[in-house]
Amino acid sequence: MSITDKITKLNNQVQWFYSDEFNLDEAEKKYKESVELAKEIEKDLGELKNKIEIINKDFTK
Amino acid sequence: MQTPHFTVSQFIEILNQTLDYVFPIIELEGEVSNFKTSKGKWGFFDLKDEQGTINCFIPLFSLRVPLEDGMQVVVKGHPKLTDFGRFSFTVQQIMPRGEGSIKKAFDLLKAKLAKEGLFSPEKKRPLPDHLETIGVISSTGAAGYADFCKILNARWGGLHLRVANCGVQGLSAADEMIKALEYFNEQEPVDIIVLIRGGGSKDDLAVFNDELLTRKIAASRIPVLTGIGHEVDESLADLAADLRASTPSNAAEMLTKDKRAEVSRIHDNLQSLAKYLGHYLDTAKDTQKSQLTSVKTLIEARVENAQNELQNTRKLLESLNPENVLRQGYSIVTGNFSPGNVVKITTHQQIINAEVIDVHNR
Repeated sequence: MSITDKITKLNNQVQWFYSDEFNLDEAEKKYKESVELAKEIEKDLGELKNKIEIINKDFTK
Repeated sequence: MQTPHFTVSQFIEILNQTLDYVFPIIELEGEVSNFKTSKGKWGFFDLKDEQGTINCFIPLFSLRVPLEDGMQVVVKGHPKLTDFGRFSFTVQQIMPRGEGSIKKAFDLLKAKLAKEGLFSPEKKRPLPDHLETIGVISSTGAAGYADFCKILNARWGGLHLRVANCGVQGLSAADEMIKALEYFNEQEPVDIIVLIRGGGSKDDLAVFNDELLTRKIAASRIPVLTGIGHEVDESLADLAADLRASTPSNAAEMLTKDKRAEVSRIHDNLQSLAKYLGHYLDTAKDTQKSQLTSVKTLIEARVENAQNELQNTRKLLESLNPENVLRQGYSIVTGNFSPGNVVKITTHQQIINAEVIDVHNR
């Protein structure tokens, strides 16, 4: 799963708590999952690098 | 030593060969005068300074900036002696020089292209929602490019930058950038194209007012973001682009979220959520407590009612008790009430047997 997908998933999970679908039975499990996902995203963001590739083409010609 | 001998044509050819060898391509700077066009195909003008004048010729398709007498320009091309023995300079590219000429050319071309609708707001496309691949057109040795990469890397990761290394100033830079735009549009599709160039003088940035480059940006199938010069610098490339950043660094900021801000946002969201859940649970507990209190009050009220009803029933029973009647002085007589018979008289404290003497109606 890409980092953007993870962030989207986390946003949706957080929104669940404020929605009509919320129920106390699932809340604890979902909250723990959200905290774990947040840790994962933070770790990913720290490690993620951009790939910079110079195109092998002479644009002067 | 024998004196060289040529025909006129041979001499013109040799002179042109010599000129080609010594000056294959040169740049000349001067002021335009006597500019005129012929048959909608050719342009002629004199390029002059304080002491000299050179006749110039340019095919109009190569003329990518508006030209007027009095403009200071740099022209790129090669010198030639015509078959009629006239010295001429064939211009391939031309660029205004100096703030006044650049402003003049900018205003003229801006008005022309605006009339064609190249800068219309309705043509502008937003940033794609999801960026993975970015086509960068810039000079990899330029400070603006370094700023762009530095800010981009500090803010976000996971992007794939495909960089077209081009000149970003000078007469040939516009053509290089046009080729790079074509390359991304035709051969190497990316999510967005970013045109980057750091700050510089008006002359340095004049290339971004090139007509063909401006048209190519406006026609790009892929959205284009420009980050050229400083905030105060406005070019035709900026006007034609879908989005304009004030600087290369600002372009990087527009393309990416800040990962530190994102982490902070995630933490804030989870903290708010924890507070919300705590509040939710407290409210649920309070509600339950309140419900229990209500039930308790209801039960107590019902018990009290039942007790009152019992009390009333008890009082009623009490009032119907025969002993209470006897206590008030009455007595109960039982037996056969015919004269001569013995009947039983029960009082509060005694039982009396008595004989019936007489019976008659009241």
